[in-house]
Amino acid sequence: MTEARIARDQKPTKAGSTGAPRRRLPDLGPLPWIGPALLLIFGVVLWPAFEMLRTSVLEISRSGLAKGFIGLENFERLFADPDLTGILTRTLVWVFVAVSVTILVSLGLASLLNAAFPGRRLVRWALIIPWAASVVMTATVWRWMLDGFYGIINRILFDLGLIGGPINDWLGDPSTAFIWLMFVAIFVSLPFTTYVLLAGLQSIPRDIYEAARVDGATGWQAYVGITLPMLRPALLVAAIINMINVFNSFPIIWAMTKGGPGSLTDTTTTHMYKLAFQLLDVGQSAAMAVVNFTVILLFVLLYLRVVDWRRA
Amino acid sequence: MEEVRTDMTKRLTGLVTVGAAGLLAVAGAVPAAAQDGTSIEMIAAQYTVDMQPYFDDLAARFMEENPDIDVTVQVVDWNNIDQVVTTRIATGEPPDIANLNYFAAFAADDLLYAADQIVDEATVNDLIQGFRDNSKYEGVEYAVPDLASDRLFFYNKAILEAAGVEPPSTWSDVKAACAAIQESQPGIVPLALPLGPEEAQAEFLIWTGGNGGQYFDGENWVVNSAENLETLEFLQELVDAGCTQPNPGSFDRTAGAFTLFAEGVVGMLNGAIFLPGELENTYQSDVDWGVVPFPAADGKESITLGVQDYFFGFKKEGNQEAIQKFLSFLFIPENYAAFLEAAGGFLPATVSAGESMSEDEFLAPFIEVLPSAIFYPSDQAAWGSVQGAIQDGIGAAFVPGADKQQILDEINAVGEG
Repeated sequence: MTEARIARDQKPTKAGSTGAPRRRLPDLGPLPWIGPALLLIFGVVLWPAFEMLRTSVLEISRSGLAKGFIGLENFERLFADPDLTGILTRTLVWVFVAVSVTILVSLGLASLLNAAFPGRRLVRWALIIPWAASVVMTATVWRWMLDGFYGIINRILFDLGLIGGPINDWLGDPSTAFIWLMFVAIFVSLPFTTYVLLAGLQSIPRDIYEAARVDGATGWQAYVGITLPMLRPALLVAAIINMINVFNSFPIIWAMTKGGPGSLTDTTTTHMYKLAFQLLDVGQSAAMAVVNFTVILLFVLLYLRVVDWRRA
Repeated sequence: MEEVRTDMTKRLTGLVTVGAAGLLAVAGAVPAAAQDGTSIEMIAAQYTVDMQPYFDDLAARFMEENPDIDVTVQVVDWNNIDQVVTTRIATGEPPDIANLNYFAAFAADDLLYAADQIVDEATVNDLIQGFRDNSKYEGVEYAVPDLASDRLFFYNKAILEAAGVEPPSTWSDVKAACAAIQESQPGIVPLALPLGPEEAQAEFLIWTGGNGGQYFDGENWVVNSAENLETLEFLQELVDAGCTQPNPGSFDRTAGAFTLFAEGVVGMLNGAIFLPGELENTYQSDVDWGVVPFPAADGKESITLGVQDYFFGFKKEGNQEAIQKFLSFLFIPENYAAFLEAAGGFLPATVSAGESMSEDEFLAPFIEVLPSAIFYPSDQAAWGSVQGAIQDGIGAAFVPGADKQQILDEINAVGEG
């Protein structure tokens, strides 16, 4: 904008000058400052992404050697896999359920933490713990708590009379395993989401509520009419960041079920790993990575639009 | 051997660290000390935690005798070694020597020296012929067997006695024993059936081998054969009857089967040659166990599953002589005996070491069944992939409503593809 204006302003001067050609050199002044960042972006973002794309159209032997260009064959094999439909569907369910439940529960938690009550500081601190702990560790702890033979969850449920026998293999049966996986995904996503929403809540000016109360709004009306609309930017940011995190989540599934039995608790992320390191098919794995990357790119574009939306 | 795969966190950390490990390994490969000499690097498998100290000592003694050769040995655990080796090759930095449970894919890419180029003649001649035959790719020996194992059917004496049954020798016997155990001792798992990803390729092969099934018939992949389908259906009957723990496809050998057997909760299971050592040292179990040959389908021959691992050398300029010297040094009887001891309870790959071990009372029954051993088709370049497909896929056959034939077909396609 500014530059354009300057250029326009310069035009008459240029026309009226001697006419000597003025070559515009790019201004290299900022380079020393942005150079390291550019290098970093090139080295850890662009170059690996290029390598991934390149690998996805190469034939890679089982020992890991590149054998030459094979076009889209890796993609053809990827999409011909009868398990892929199930894996894609599961990935969608995984992202949708984990993110929406996380947001709903976090909304409640954030409101709670925003209210004044004795011990609030303690509760706020406690909420950080699942976030501070490594996800691998959390998932491993849950894996053992849910173990069919030794798990504490079975013990508790059995003692409460909620299940019929002391052995209930939650993670072995794919139908229950996937629900528990989503539960853990939600559990580890809650702290971050809650804090984002809490920050959003705290940015809403108090006097709006006072004005509403004077006008006779009930608590619920104030929540729907003021809190939710004012919270919208925070909600959108929380949703998109969670979508990216949950979509990419590898450790929870890997530590708890390894995507098994078979591929019945796999998402596209664990499937990609298995293709490369179990089936030793790096090319097909790269094709899966490209598909995953495209999905993430869409999420990021969505995110950028949201940021723009906030500015407007 | 994938024998010592333990828990899943390790595998996970593996993923995170694989890049770093690869880089470190590359750094380690940079020629360092040896003055105008050769540097070689070996990636070895972590049979036990004693392996790294063993190799450090071996390399130190070797370098004392051969000051112009510099040897570095990096021991990597089973959960990560595939990734480390694959990553190294993909980035054009293969090690000089690797110690792994498959080699044919590397031979197919013409990356390997022949066996007689990586050990001396005396060592080649001392290797057990059966193991040598399994070290060939398209008729050429590209790998040297480092050790081997086989399996027997383990049972808990107290549990079988209380049920009033003899150790089974046929599939019908297994069923009968199951029923008797269920009746007399509710809460006991009669048979542990670990078909989870850790060792599914071994567990399934030892069952189906007793039904005349195989993965490869010498010419074609036959994972989807009628025998294999029959075996899956028989195992399904056992699962349905409550003879096994639930969900075999999610049940792993080490964390599941071995642990429960050590606690005296499991009546019978497929146990490898190193299980007695594990029971004693790792689990400190006081279970009184016995072994019998593996039960076969009625009217079929009992088999055992033989598993062997390999040393192989990657072709690089100027490294062949150093590799040959170092591996031959490893096979000097006292060094090789120390290798076996560090690895813990495996069968030796050489005739000379085998002779001195046949008197070992624990090993004797395992050596006795070796002639009936069937092996993985590790001479096939696709074996590594098929193994992964079985580990990943066969467990799904026990999920209600699964199409067993289709699952076997899919695995077979990985071999053909």
